[in-house]
Amino acid sequence: MRRSPGPAGATATLDASAEAAVAAQVRRTLETVFDAVAETRADATALLARVVAGGRRPATVDLAALRPGLHLRLTRQELVSGAGFVAAPGLLGDVPAWLEWWQQGSDGSVRPLLLDLDPAHSAYSDYTHWDWFALPRDTGQRAVAGPYVDYLCSDEYSLTLSAPVHVEGRFVGVAAADVYLRHFEGAVVPLLQRLPGAAHLVNARGRVAASADPAHLAGSLTKGPDFAAVLAAARSTRHGDMRLVPCDGVPLVLVMPAG
Amino acid sequence: MKQHRGDGVRRAVFTPVDNRARVETVVHRIGDAIELGLLADGEQLPGEMELAGQLGVSTVTLREALMALRQQGLVTTRRGRGGGSFVSLPEVPGEERLLARLAGWSTEELRDLGDHWAALSGAAARLAAQRTEPDDLKALRRTLDDLSAAEDAPARSRVYGRFHVELAAAAQSARLTREQVVLQTEVGALMCLVLGDDEYREEVADRHRSVISAVQDGAHDSARALAERCVLDSTARLITLRLSMPRAVSGPRPLEGTHAQEPRTGRRDGDA
Repeated sequence: MRRSPGPAGATATLDASAEAAVAAQVRRTLETVFDAVAETRADATALLARVVAGGRRPATVDLAALRPGLHLRLTRQELVSGAGFVAAPGLLGDVPAWLEWWQQGSDGSVRPLLLDLDPAHSAYSDYTHWDWFALPRDTGQRAVAGPYVDYLCSDEYSLTLSAPVHVEGRFVGVAAADVYLRHFEGAVVPLLQRLPGAAHLVNARGRVAASADPAHLAGSLTKGPDFAAVLAAARSTRHGDMRLVPCDGVPLVLVMPAG
Repeated sequence: MKQHRGDGVRRAVFTPVDNRARVETVVHRIGDAIELGLLADGEQLPGEMELAGQLGVSTVTLREALMALRQQGLVTTRRGRGGGSFVSLPEVPGEERLLARLAGWSTEELRDLGDHWAALSGAAARLAAQRTEPDDLKALRRTLDDLSAAEDAPARSRVYGRFHVELAAAAQSARLTREQVVLQTEVGALMCLVLGDDEYREEVADRHRSVISAVQDGAHDSARALAERCVLDSTARLITLRLSMPRAVSGPRPLEGTHAQEPRTGRRDGDA
C-alpha cells in the first residue's frame, strides 16, 4: 500500500481528500460525454421544434441535419464510440421507429447503424425497454445505462449516457452517446490505481463499471450496500469494511476498503 | 423499413466463415438467414466483392454459393443498372423448404450443434446467476411473455433465440453474446420445424421460466443444468425429426439442392 507517512488521523484525511479528488475526476470524465449528449439534445430539440412549428410532422430525412454534429462529436470526443438521436416510436411520419445513430469503426471511420426495425423480421425491433431509452423517458432526467452488453448496436460491453428530448412538453426521444467499457477503464482505472487501497466503481445497482481490485471485476456485482441510497444522499458513508464515495452528479459510487 | 445490416444479429450473417466447406457454409448461412426472416424477400444482398469480403471468402467461393442459392430459388440475380442479387422466397411452403434444410444436416452435426449451444447457454446461465440483479431479469421475462404470444413458428423461433442472446447478455459477457448471436443464425431456421407445435412451445416456455427462477435465486449450478437441458431437448427433437425423414442416413451431405451436380473442378474452397 502506498500510504503517506504520518499520524493515522492525517493519513485518513489525506485518503479522504484523495478519494474525493478521484470521484471528482470520474465525474468530469463522464461530464465530457454528457456534454456531447447535451449538444445532440440541443440540436435535436431545435430541429424538431422548427419542423413542428412549421406545422409538419418530422420525418427521417429531417434527422439528417443532425449528422455533421454527430460526426464531429464522434471524432472529437475520445471516449464516445457511438452517438445519435433515438426517436420515440410514432414521432416520425415515414417510419414507425428510428435510430439516427452513428458509430466510429476500429479504423476511425464514422458509419451509420442500420437496424432492421420491422417486427415481422426482427425480434429486436422494440428498443423502448432498454435502460438508455426508458430511464430518461420515465424520469425526465439524464441517465447512465450499464455496464451492459449492447447486442443491439455495437456488440460491445458499454455504458450509454442519454438525456430526454422534449418538444412542446412532449417526450420525443433520447439523445445518447456510447462509451465502450474498455475505453472507460482506460480513462478511470489509472485514477483508481493512485488510491492507497484497492478501489472500484459501481453503478446504482452495484454493478462494477471499472476496478483496480482483482476481487471485484467489471461486470460483477458488489452486494450489500444500497448504492442508490448512497447516490441519493450524495454523501460519503461507510458500510461494513467498505467506504462509499458517491461521484456527485453521475450515478457511480467509488468503493474503497475502509480503514 | 429500409434500415438494415448494422444490427448485431444481422451482421453475424455476414461475418467470416471458417475454412471447412466454405461454399456449403455460405449457402447455409445465407439460406438460414432468409428462412428466419433476417433477410427479407426482395432485399438486395451486398455486392459480390463486399459480400465476399464480409464473409471472408474468395469471390469464386461466393459465386458458387450464390449459384447454389439461385438453384434453391432463394436468390435471384438481375443484370445491368439496378442489378445485383436479391432475396426471393419461393412459393414452396416454408415447412418443405425447412425439411430440405434439415436433411442437409447429419445427426452427428446436429448433436454437435446442440453440444455447442448447450455449452454457450449453460455457461451463460451459470454466470448470469452469479451476476444478476433484479432489473437484468426484465428482458428475459418480457421475452418469456413474447414467446407465449408468438403466433407462427418463425416468430417463436426468433423469440426463442432472443432468450438465449439475452441470457448471455445477463452473464455480462460480450463474447458469449456474440457467439450466441452467430449460433442463432444457424439454429433459428431449424427450430421453426419444432416450435410450430403449441405443446412444445409451452414446454419451452416452462423451461425458460425455470431458468429465470434459478438465475434469480443465484442457483448457478441448477441454472446451468436447466439451460443445458432446454437446448439439448430442442436439438434432440430435431434429431428425432431428422431420423424420421426418408433416406435418413445418406452419404456425404449433398451441397444443397442440385449443386452437387455441378462439375467439381470449379471448387477452390481453400483460396480465400
